[in-house]
Amino acid sequence: MSSKQRQFDALVRSLSGDLFRYGYWLCGDEALAHDLVQETFLRAWRALDNLRETAAAKSWLITILRREHARLYERKTPQFADVDEIDVIDERDAHMPEFAGEENVIRNAIRQLDAKYREPLLLQVLGGFSCEEIARELKITPAAVMTQVFRARQKLKAMLGDGEIVEARVHELP
Amino acid sequence: MNCLEFRRQLLIDPRTTEADFQHHARECGRCAEAQLRALAFESSLHAALSVPAPAQLAESILLHQATEQQRNRQRLRRGGGLLALAAGVVLAFGVGLHLQAQPLPEIVVNHLQHEAFVLSMTKPVAAEQVRQAFASLGVTVGELPADISFVGCCPVGRYSSVHLLMPGSNGPVTVLYLTDDRFEARKDFVREGWLGRSVPLAHGTLVLLAHDAGQFDRIENQWRRALQNAT
Repeated sequence: MSSKQRQFDALVRSLSGDLFRYGYWLCGDEALAHDLVQETFLRAWRALDNLRETAAAKSWLITILRREHARLYERKTPQFADVDEIDVIDERDAHMPEFAGEENVIRNAIRQLDAKYREPLLLQVLGGFSCEEIARELKITPAAVMTQVFRARQKLKAMLGDGEIVEARVHELP
Repeated sequence: MNCLEFRRQLLIDPRTTEADFQHHARECGRCAEAQLRALAFESSLHAALSVPAPAQLAESILLHQATEQQRNRQRLRRGGGLLALAAGVVLAFGVGLHLQAQPLPEIVVNHLQHEAFVLSMTKPVAAEQVRQAFASLGVTVGELPADISFVGCCPVGRYSSVHLLMPGSNGPVTVLYLTDDRFEARKDFVREGWLGRSVPLAHGTLVLLAHDAGQFDRIENQWRRALQNAT
């Protein structure tokens, strides 16, 4: 196996899960997220020589995935025109045990966030990126990132209510 | 930092390690309690965002990449112009002479050592994935053995191959099927502590490698059945 192939294998094995989760929250669909990640890694393979620092691999892959997602959305938007995305996802959630409970309530709230609030939050909570790194990725100012993650958490907390309300929703209390 | 700034920071990044922030949490009991609540919320948020990735995601990505590489090679082989052909002939002659000088046991053991991580894989792979790997190299297979825990399309030296792993009671057995090259005789070999067997099968050659050859006959028969009508 060539050293390029070994480097690629290591990238796939260490980062494909994180990329999938990020892709899933970008597009809201497991199958589409799977395709997105596959396409992202294929593009990464073709451009692997451009990756100079291992530490930058995750943000490099996320940049590719975001571009790929944008391209995919441009191509596929008409197919989603009549679909009420939230309802479809909720229906699926109700039948999948792994989506049950408190996590399900929080996931539904996250889905209802505007993309402009959801994406920086994803990068911070899932990706572990700092506000400065998120700003570079999203091409906005660090101050704008701070405002967006601030509002994202504020909106989530408002949607979820206090802890007691979440408890009540999870356990179907009045 | 005052309480208002602290509470604002809790909503921006509750995990921050900034000295001012940490100092305020030590000094102010109510803000410290708010921080605990914020960190608990953060954990719930992280858990909710961490949707499970599909099983075998990494393997399917690697298979996709290997398949594309193979397709590119075929395209290159078919579509090369006169110049490419001429260059290819020169290159193939040089590289071919070198690679042909390497005996098969050396080539396959080298490959196995480069991909040693495969030996620890124990999760079963879907039969469909195995079929797809063979199909991507133009081989149609029949009834497949049930216990396969890895599949990938790999160039092995100058050969195209499907690389598989079959876990066994006495350690895993690596199976390589070189799709286009049929070696003439079936033979057993020993190389760098590995026991091996090469078997001409259909249009290619099956190679088995393990530290214990006790399962070779059974596995060879399983692949004979799978590949007997291979096209």
